[in-house]
Amino acid sequence: MKTLIAKRLLILIPMLLAVSLMVSLLMSLAPGDPVTQFEMMPDVDEDYLQRLREDFGLDKPWYVQYFHWLGQVVPFSYDPQAASFFQRFDFTPNFGFSYHYRTEVWDLIVQRLPATILLSLTSLLLAWLIAIPLGVLAAIYKDSVFDRISQMLAYAALSIPEFFLALLALVFAAWTGWFPIGGFTSTEYDFLSPWGKFLDIAHHLLLPTIVLGIGGVAGIMRIMRANFLDNIRAEYVTTARAKGLSEGVVMFRHVFRNAINPLITAAGFAFSSILSGALLVEIVMNYPGIGQLVYDALLQQDAFVVQAAVLMSVIMLMLGNLLADVALSMNDPRIRYD
Amino acid sequence: MSFRAFIASAKGAAIAAAHAVIVASLAACGSAEAPLGDRPVAGPPPIDADVSHLPSGRPGGVFFGTLVGMPRTFNPLQSSEDAPSATAVSRLLEGLTRFDAAREEIVPGLARDWEISDDQKTFTFHLRRGVRWSDGHPFTADDVVFTFQVIYDERYPNRRKSELSVDGKPFEVEKIDDHTVRFRTAEVYAPFLLYIGTPIMPRHRLWSAYEDGTFLRAWSVRDAQLDPEAMVSTGPLVLERFRPAERIVYRANPHYWRVDAAGQRLPYMDRLIERIVRSQQSSTLAFAHGQSDYEGIEVRNVAWVKRNAADYDFEVHDRGPSQSTNFIWFNQNRGADRNGRPYVEPHKLEWFRDARFRQAISWAIDRDGIVSGVLLGRGLPLWGPISPANRSWHNPDVQHYPYDPERARTLLREAGFTWDQDGRLRDRHGNAVAFSLATNEDNDVRQAIGLVFVDNMKRLGIDVRLQPLDFNTFVAKVMNSFDYEAGLLGLTGSWDPQGGWSVYHSTGRLHMWYPAQAEPSTEWEARIDQLMERQLRTLDVEERRRHIFEVQEILAREQPLIYTVTVNSYEGLQDRWRNLDPPQMGSLIWNYDELWTENLLLR
Repeated sequence: MKTLIAKRLLILIPMLLAVSLMVSLLMSLAPGDPVTQFEMMPDVDEDYLQRLREDFGLDKPWYVQYFHWLGQVVPFSYDPQAASFFQRFDFTPNFGFSYHYRTEVWDLIVQRLPATILLSLTSLLLAWLIAIPLGVLAAIYKDSVFDRISQMLAYAALSIPEFFLALLALVFAAWTGWFPIGGFTSTEYDFLSPWGKFLDIAHHLLLPTIVLGIGGVAGIMRIMRANFLDNIRAEYVTTARAKGLSEGVVMFRHVFRNAINPLITAAGFAFSSILSGALLVEIVMNYPGIGQLVYDALLQQDAFVVQAAVLMSVIMLMLGNLLADVALSMNDPRIRYD
Repeated sequence: MSFRAFIASAKGAAIAAAHAVIVASLAACGSAEAPLGDRPVAGPPPIDADVSHLPSGRPGGVFFGTLVGMPRTFNPLQSSEDAPSATAVSRLLEGLTRFDAAREEIVPGLARDWEISDDQKTFTFHLRRGVRWSDGHPFTADDVVFTFQVIYDERYPNRRKSELSVDGKPFEVEKIDDHTVRFRTAEVYAPFLLYIGTPIMPRHRLWSAYEDGTFLRAWSVRDAQLDPEAMVSTGPLVLERFRPAERIVYRANPHYWRVDAAGQRLPYMDRLIERIVRSQQSSTLAFAHGQSDYEGIEVRNVAWVKRNAADYDFEVHDRGPSQSTNFIWFNQNRGADRNGRPYVEPHKLEWFRDARFRQAISWAIDRDGIVSGVLLGRGLPLWGPISPANRSWHNPDVQHYPYDPERARTLLREAGFTWDQDGRLRDRHGNAVAFSLATNEDNDVRQAIGLVFVDNMKRLGIDVRLQPLDFNTFVAKVMNSFDYEAGLLGLTGSWDPQGGWSVYHSTGRLHMWYPAQAEPSTEWEARIDQLMERQLRTLDVEERRRHIFEVQEILAREQPLIYTVTVNSYEGLQDRWRNLDPPQMGSLIWNYDELWTENLLLR
């Protein structure tokens, strides 16, 4: 197990280097740079634009900019003059500097993190709480009307793109007036009591949670149903029934525990999408999270914000997979990584 | 209880509660126990308070606005680079002078008055006594000196520095006493009093950032979120809450230095809440449904927004021509690229550099057609860089080019052009006249103007290919590679014509048709250079106006930039606001500190 974790973490290093190099290259291919937008302002003087490009290093080729950035992200410096041994090493990583906001990228990400994580967690929770019971029921009552209808709905949910669903949700909100049209808090938010603040955010979260959750429900439900069916036909089920165990114990003690395995892997992937999964929904529903930040950064060619977001997604994906593998081996003693 | 009723009542209760809190605290104005919405009183107004000349009103109320796009920063040195940041900082930091938009003159700001020396190079400002920052710290000459120290510091490149220098030489700034500052300019500098209105920064808050070299990162969006009150203010408002990508909440600055005729401290409004939206369209949508107090309305939206006016108690004000311009120009650059290939094919350059060709094109543009067809009548033909909105500097008596294809043909014939049997225009060497017109693809109005232009040229036998480009690609072609034939663009003018220096002067970066020339390539460009230099070296407004008028005459005669139309400006405002002082040019609510209302909230 330890070797598995060590290996995965080691693989992460070349992976991050390769991905960040790729992002740098791609960002450099777009025409213009973050200073271009000022060129058409009559009262901005040439010297200032030149100075901005120099200070940001935009006058250098992309790979020089990349290595400069890398030096910032891993600012490993050694100072032999320092008083104690540990003070000689300075290791304070940062995600670089945003051209657009003229501040640390990390500050920007921290600003947006809570909203995005909140939405991801509520939608994941919603998806799992609905999907697992539905999948189990659909498997137990296979080929019933309930099974047919839930299958059909699942296919429909899987085939509707998220952004379209988000648009429908906005139209619904505008038409009925039951929900706010996008956003995270109301104008009055800052003047509400703590309980009022909670309700206000919940009210705003409901629609995006449903929009994000629906796709998840369909996917997880289908996996759950298929695995449950596989296990129902297994021989140990017959044995259990022959022993005279009640149907409830058979289904939920034995079948369920075996059928849940693939879902643990799915949970690992879900973990990886906590930061990036809501991108489209955030943009369409004007939800002030990471997705919006990254989308704007792409338009503004704010390279290091994009870089940071992509790297965080990669890290989350790897960690998610790792966690899933660890959890799998804990749930199922047959699985070993040696 | 049905779901709908439940949601409606829950929401209603929440909002009612919030309103109750706001209103209650408004009522409890100044009392110590009001938790929110209170309006702390900071003792009597300063001795040198500025007195509003508008009728006195009643304090109270919340102004709801929208902001398209989020501020990048609240840092006063970098805020002027984008509109949302500039707006945010302008609410907080005042300058020594202010621009009175309604009367189009420079009026005292943080300075009570000033004296100008006989050689017109020394300005002595007397600061208003008793003015305090929003945290109660006294405002003094040290803040002024500090501001200019920061602006001129090599470590901190910024956009304001060039405006606040003459021939690259910074002003000399000297503190005489706590309330007197003296400036000396190396040469006479015409727009001095305007540009000296740059926001004055609080020394007591920013000195440490200045010293340790981190000034450019001070007052970032993160700082504004964590500690909004630290961004102290001399303006009408103070920052109360900043929620990134959501909204900015300001409240009245208890230490503001303007009062009304009754001695009541301004601003009247208790709060200004600006919602951050992602597009102009959603901003307009919110206004049209009574969710905000004010909106600048694009021409294409005017008609449908007006239909909602009675239902939501607002009015759409037709504000006449705006400062926006749209022009077509030909690449007259004589240079060649690195491989020695000329930027413009020589025979085309010959047409483009011939004034008669450019004038003929101008005569052949149906500007009235553009106004009625593209702008639905909500605009005016434009004949020069300074729009009629700018009544201080606009020259109405320049050469106009009303639609006259016959006149165009005569001019082209004079210039040696002929038409072949297919009706195509050919130059004297027999080349068919054709060119491409580059423009940025993200501007609908501009593209529509381009289409009308293509059609107008076809009637003249000229084949024009419209080439919409991504903005950055377009900029690169026009400013760096010069690899284009004709361009279509708009620039928004500033009130003072010095703002157009880089367009008019032949060394300028935005001298679109042939930028950054070492020597002016024509006599008329040399004359414009001379006039621009002269207008810069006098404080006599009449003399400046004479020079600027002549610049406009030359530009209209030579048509290096063929101006097309200007769009009218429309602004919507809720009926509840009083004390409007509408300027000819600029925002209807420029004097928002003087606006007041009896209905404290939007309904």
